[in-house]
Amino acid sequence: MIDKFKAAFREESFELLSQLEDTLLELESQPRNGELINAAFRAMHTVKGSSAMFGFETISKFTHEIETVLDHCRNGTLPITKDFIGLTLKARDHLRRLLEFDEPPPQELAHDGDALLVRYRDYAASGAGLKPPAQAGAETAAGAAPAAPVAAPQGQGHADAGPATYRVFWKPKPGIFRDGTKVLSLVDELASLGDGHLYPHTECLPPLESLDPESCYCYWDAVLTTAKSENDIRDVFIFVEDNSELKIERLEEPPLDDEGRSKRLGEILIERGLVTRDSLREALGSQKKLGEVLVEKKIVTKPEIESALVEQDHLKKVQEKSELGQGSIRVASDKLDALVDLVGELVTLQARLSQTSFEIKDGPLASISEQFERLIAQLRDNTMSIRMLPIGSTFNKFRRVVRDLSLELGKEAELLTEGAETELDKTVIEKLGDPLVHIIRNSLDHGIERPDARQSAGKDRKGNITLAARHSGAYVLIQVTDDGKGLDKEAIYSKAVERGIIAPGQEMSDGDLYLLIFAPGFSTAKVVSSVSGRGVGMDVVKREIDSLGGSVSLSTEPGRGTTVTLKIPLTLAIIEGLLVRIEDEHYVIPLSSVDGCIEIKREELAAYGDRRILSYREELVPFVSLRGAFETPGAEPEIEQIVIANSQDMRVGFVVDQVVGDYQTVIKPLGRMFKDVEGVSGATILGDGTVALILDVNRLAAAVQRDGLRRSAKGVER
Amino acid sequence: MPTAKNETPKIINLSGPLTVERAQPLKTELLAALAGKGPLLVSLSLVEDLDLACLQVLYAARKSAAASGKEFHFIGSVPSRIVKRLQAAGFLQGAPERAEDFEAELVDF
Repeated sequence: MIDKFKAAFREESFELLSQLEDTLLELESQPRNGELINAAFRAMHTVKGSSAMFGFETISKFTHEIETVLDHCRNGTLPITKDFIGLTLKARDHLRRLLEFDEPPPQELAHDGDALLVRYRDYAASGAGLKPPAQAGAETAAGAAPAAPVAAPQGQGHADAGPATYRVFWKPKPGIFRDGTKVLSLVDELASLGDGHLYPHTECLPPLESLDPESCYCYWDAVLTTAKSENDIRDVFIFVEDNSELKIERLEEPPLDDEGRSKRLGEILIERGLVTRDSLREALGSQKKLGEVLVEKKIVTKPEIESALVEQDHLKKVQEKSELGQGSIRVASDKLDALVDLVGELVTLQARLSQTSFEIKDGPLASISEQFERLIAQLRDNTMSIRMLPIGSTFNKFRRVVRDLSLELGKEAELLTEGAETELDKTVIEKLGDPLVHIIRNSLDHGIERPDARQSAGKDRKGNITLAARHSGAYVLIQVTDDGKGLDKEAIYSKAVERGIIAPGQEMSDGDLYLLIFAPGFSTAKVVSSVSGRGVGMDVVKREIDSLGGSVSLSTEPGRGTTVTLKIPLTLAIIEGLLVRIEDEHYVIPLSSVDGCIEIKREELAAYGDRRILSYREELVPFVSLRGAFETPGAEPEIEQIVIANSQDMRVGFVVDQVVGDYQTVIKPLGRMFKDVEGVSGATILGDGTVALILDVNRLAAAVQRDGLRRSAKGVER
Repeated sequence: MPTAKNETPKIINLSGPLTVERAQPLKTELLAALAGKGPLLVSLSLVEDLDLACLQVLYAARKSAAASGKEFHFIGSVPSRIVKRLQAAGFLQGAPERAEDFEAELVDF
């Protein structure tokens, strides 16, 4: 039993330590941010408390000393320097290692811990800064932030109570444009204070003929949930106080009622002073929706109702969010994997059920099967959504990579992130870690210039690497962009020739040339560094991303920087597929890459002769006969069908006997025996128990391009 | 579209920063266009910036068009910079790229 608790403690501590890392990195850029110091202190304090409870004495003692020093920082008696952050990051790494062992930990770990504590004691004793460690690193060069008392967390009367929700009404006076006030920027600033909804009112706008283009007619209602105080909100409008009307009101969050609503529309309207209780009661007497009645009776306007509904919606979301945290539980990930496997089996079984019911033409059974199908689809979507994690959970790891590596390389760089909330399947996220580290290391090592070089090129001394993620259909696009020197075309070309990857004098497009950096054994670094430049990085990236069913592309601009884009499928377990048939064999084409299907008579197809390019939506599309490509015996039917699929940067047609229809495809990996089979990414089990291969559209398309449809010619011209 | 066949639409391609200084000329241009018979189609594809003054002119033009039974639509794509700006100020909830979605989502338009 105690082992179970220990496992839970470890898991929770890993999470705390990963948050701590994030906090420390942020603290480095804002050393006086009181909330961040508090967060670091709290993390350390929690680890200390629970480690003592579960008998991890070494951890408890270690964290106790650090906690003491952090407490001094919190009170402002010790400064937060770059060195201190570096030391605490090391302490965090040490804790991470300690957690791997039971008590007592191995001797050398205990020794490492003691060495770290000595440095902490020195730091506390000096009161001003750290003594450099024996092996002085680049860190010691960093300056210390002055020892000023840390600012107390902001807020008015609810400092530690968490965020509050405010109702803000702001009406600029008509003449506000004449001062040069940027109204939208102020509204933007207001929105950036927290999570909220703004409702602009445009109903005062006259028709164009009588509009004074230099007068402001719009005003805003906003509901904002923020950790900032009322004064902070007021500060946004401080320069336009005389030129506008501002009302700020703190909203209490009432509990949700039986219907899951936080506050009724009528209550909001009364609070806003838009209706009286009497008119509300009268309106409620009719059977129509309250908002409609009030608008009909001209008690309030439609925008006023809309705006109140926005507030209602916002309050509900805030409420749900705060309840979400309480309602979540921790589940071991292997249980989740088992669940997905079971759902996969169910989907397969369901396919058999619907096929059987179709074959025996039994009415009641068919209706059961249909209901079953709907339920299974819901179960599948639900299970998949449980596996989805925000990609942001891995971002802090990369920030640490950038921080440590830039110190090592003597460069200045910062990692900016966008789209941390983008969700991806757990297994995909796990497999993305290493490729992303490789790409980021490469950007930092080869892309970002040294500070002096950047300065003389007219850039900021500090380079930026942006890691951005966003959804795009059934894919997630992940981009790593640096503002460094860009790729060196000539260097890549000559290196590729030197390595025998291309022939001397071979002509190629810029795009193809840049992609050479993903070729095995390629490296342009003149000096092999410990970081990258062994030429084992980028080809591994390509291989890993390919194995995820994704693709890599690259764009660069000399002197301006480089962007590497990864296109990754959302999930690896179950996909929507298009089932096609050639003779008796079935194949699945991932539906996400299917653009359309067309029918074509055999003789028409033959008429294309050697060209094997057809016109599809005013675009020339190469096509390949899968019968030919897979050397399936038998004769083609009179009318064949062509599935047009999107590959990375082109469309390709696949000629098949018949398009059967869409199919829930549970992906089963092919054994290692088949790992070199080109054009097939996996297999699935059909309703009748037979196996269908899943086609790898990207590989097939590449093969079409590469061997000029040589093999497919056999199929078409037979 | 239920427009009469003979009426050729008037297309207005706006470009550059649409800031308060451009509000008066924009009003004049749109008024002139509204005086014509056909529907009015406005493209924001090349607009670099849009402030409240010019946004108000567009809203007012739509109001006038509706009052006189004329059609007023956006066409083409809408630059993401503009979409982001209007999103931040509450005029848009989603992030439409195409003009028809933009028009449909714009609050009270």
